[in-house]
Amino acid sequence: MKSSGTCPQCDVPLRRNGFRVQLFEDAGVEKDIDIRRRILREFNKQEEEFATLREYNDYLEDVETIIYNLVNGIDVLATNKKIEAYKRDNRESIVRNRARGRTEEDELDEILQMENELNEERAREEQERLQAEKRNKVQKKEALIDELMTSYGDAKKIVASHTKVAEPEAPVAPKPRPKPTQFSSGVRIGSTRLPAVPIVPQDEGEPFVYAAPELAMDGPAAPDSERLSADGYLSHIKRVGDAERAGGYAASLGCLRALQEGMAGLLFFPGADG
Amino acid sequence: MSEDKLRRYEKMDFLGEGQFATVYKALDRQTGKIVAVKKIKMGSRAEAEDGINRTALREIKLLQELQHENVIGLLDAFGHKSNVSLVFDFMDTDLEIIIKDMTLVLKQSDVKAYTLMTLRGLEYLHMNWILHRDLKPNNLLVTSSGVLKLGDFGLAKYYGSPNRIYTHQVVTRWYRAPELLFGAQMYGTGVDVWAVGCILAELLLRIPFLAGDSDLDQLTKIFMAMGTPTEETWSGVTALPSYVQFKVFPGTRLQDIFTAASDELLDVLRSLLALDPARRGTCASVLKLPYFSSRPAPSPGHLLPLPAEISARKKEVDRPSIKRRIVESAEESGMGGLAKKLIF
Repeated sequence: MKSSGTCPQCDVPLRRNGFRVQLFEDAGVEKDIDIRRRILREFNKQEEEFATLREYNDYLEDVETIIYNLVNGIDVLATNKKIEAYKRDNRESIVRNRARGRTEEDELDEILQMENELNEERAREEQERLQAEKRNKVQKKEALIDELMTSYGDAKKIVASHTKVAEPEAPVAPKPRPKPTQFSSGVRIGSTRLPAVPIVPQDEGEPFVYAAPELAMDGPAAPDSERLSADGYLSHIKRVGDAERAGGYAASLGCLRALQEGMAGLLFFPGADG
Repeated sequence: MSEDKLRRYEKMDFLGEGQFATVYKALDRQTGKIVAVKKIKMGSRAEAEDGINRTALREIKLLQELQHENVIGLLDAFGHKSNVSLVFDFMDTDLEIIIKDMTLVLKQSDVKAYTLMTLRGLEYLHMNWILHRDLKPNNLLVTSSGVLKLGDFGLAKYYGSPNRIYTHQVVTRWYRAPELLFGAQMYGTGVDVWAVGCILAELLLRIPFLAGDSDLDQLTKIFMAMGTPTEETWSGVTALPSYVQFKVFPGTRLQDIFTAASDELLDVLRSLLALDPARRGTCASVLKLPYFSSRPAPSPGHLLPLPAEISARKKEVDRPSIKRRIVESAEESGMGGLAKKLIF
């Protein structure tokens, strides 16, 4: 099936995944909501971002005007230009607010989910209680019938004793289900956000003092990197091209390594002192 | 001899599987220590014909000469039939797990401690003319006593040769330095230093700092953050093999990205993430910056945060293990809440 095409009447390009179930009877409302959602994705400034309430209200009015214009097809070109300009000027704040909106949404989702879980839990408990009651009743009835069948005593007495026993039936509190704390994959269920408790910085431990590590050379020390060029060592090594230098290679690197390798182990005397 | 070695290490648990190897937790019967045994996969017949796997060879060759608190220790290596196994220090977790575990709070002093240990291990490597070339949180291993060690030397290589050409296809993309992305074939310690900068940023943000989805996108992300380089800011950049002219981004001020970072910390980031590798700091120069010696002091190992599972395991050695308790509670509730264990 084709996933896109144009409307046979008005030639508007349509996409298959653009279709959805209409929620409102009035198509105008539907259109308004669509446009509003799209516009508010970009125009997502918060009240805190404005110096005065007046400015915030002006901004809100602007947004409403834009939406109204688009819905009713007034000045569409000029309005779209205005939106583009706004997007350009506020790109950073849009992205920031979107991220913030997401975390807020996430929190709401989490609360909703918790409520749902709680409701489910309650419904389940209720159902279990009802089932237990039913089971109890059936059992008692069977016990009564059994006794009536097998016993030779007075039927009235037996019935009376059974109804008496039935009275003190304290509702047994259902054992609370332990909540699963992780998915089967081992990932923890629920909030992955940091706890809201502020962390008091504690200063424990020793401050760090830099000490250059020692390199066991078993030989005379190579000249350090400052002396390489001063003492003319570098003039005996291949010159470094632009691309090599830009890649982070330096003539001093190769030079120092060659010198170190040349001297390493020169003073190594096996067995001299263990 | 290999038969002895086989008997020396008793397999305890399966830890994980990578592209080239399977890792098991094992008990060293000789010393009573817990170790990690990395069994290198043989791979295809074609690979087998080339002899021993290259990454394994690198690890054996480089690691057997290295000894540093912040570098994983290669304890032993042995072969059995056509297999090669390497025995390493056992590490409880890694920095990726710690960064991703949002229940853990990383204090300033913790970030400092992790960065410090990373740089110290790396300084030692660089002193020994070795580039790690695959630094990422996943390869910074952490013990339950809070010691960080550089691990996975499968891409490590000696550097500093004046005429040897190196591949630029190293380092996981998000941690890859701009000179590598521009195809540099001669490079130095800067590639590792850049990766440390990305890791430090990730410790602060708790999400990967520069998460590009292609090499070009990676460069775009880098330049959006640090500004597009020019010949003035990065001498010779246009001569790099795969240099392309980028849109000119002004760069973002680091204090706007890392809003909670101190000025001293920003200096460290600026030095680690300098675009021009010649101006980028070295491990030694960065470690000398005031950030590391000033307060708050780096957290001592036992105070570093650990994932709940590991700290629980550490604390409750005599009580039933957490896994066991989960199984029991799951059985009580009549449902299987147990994490599925993968068995190969």
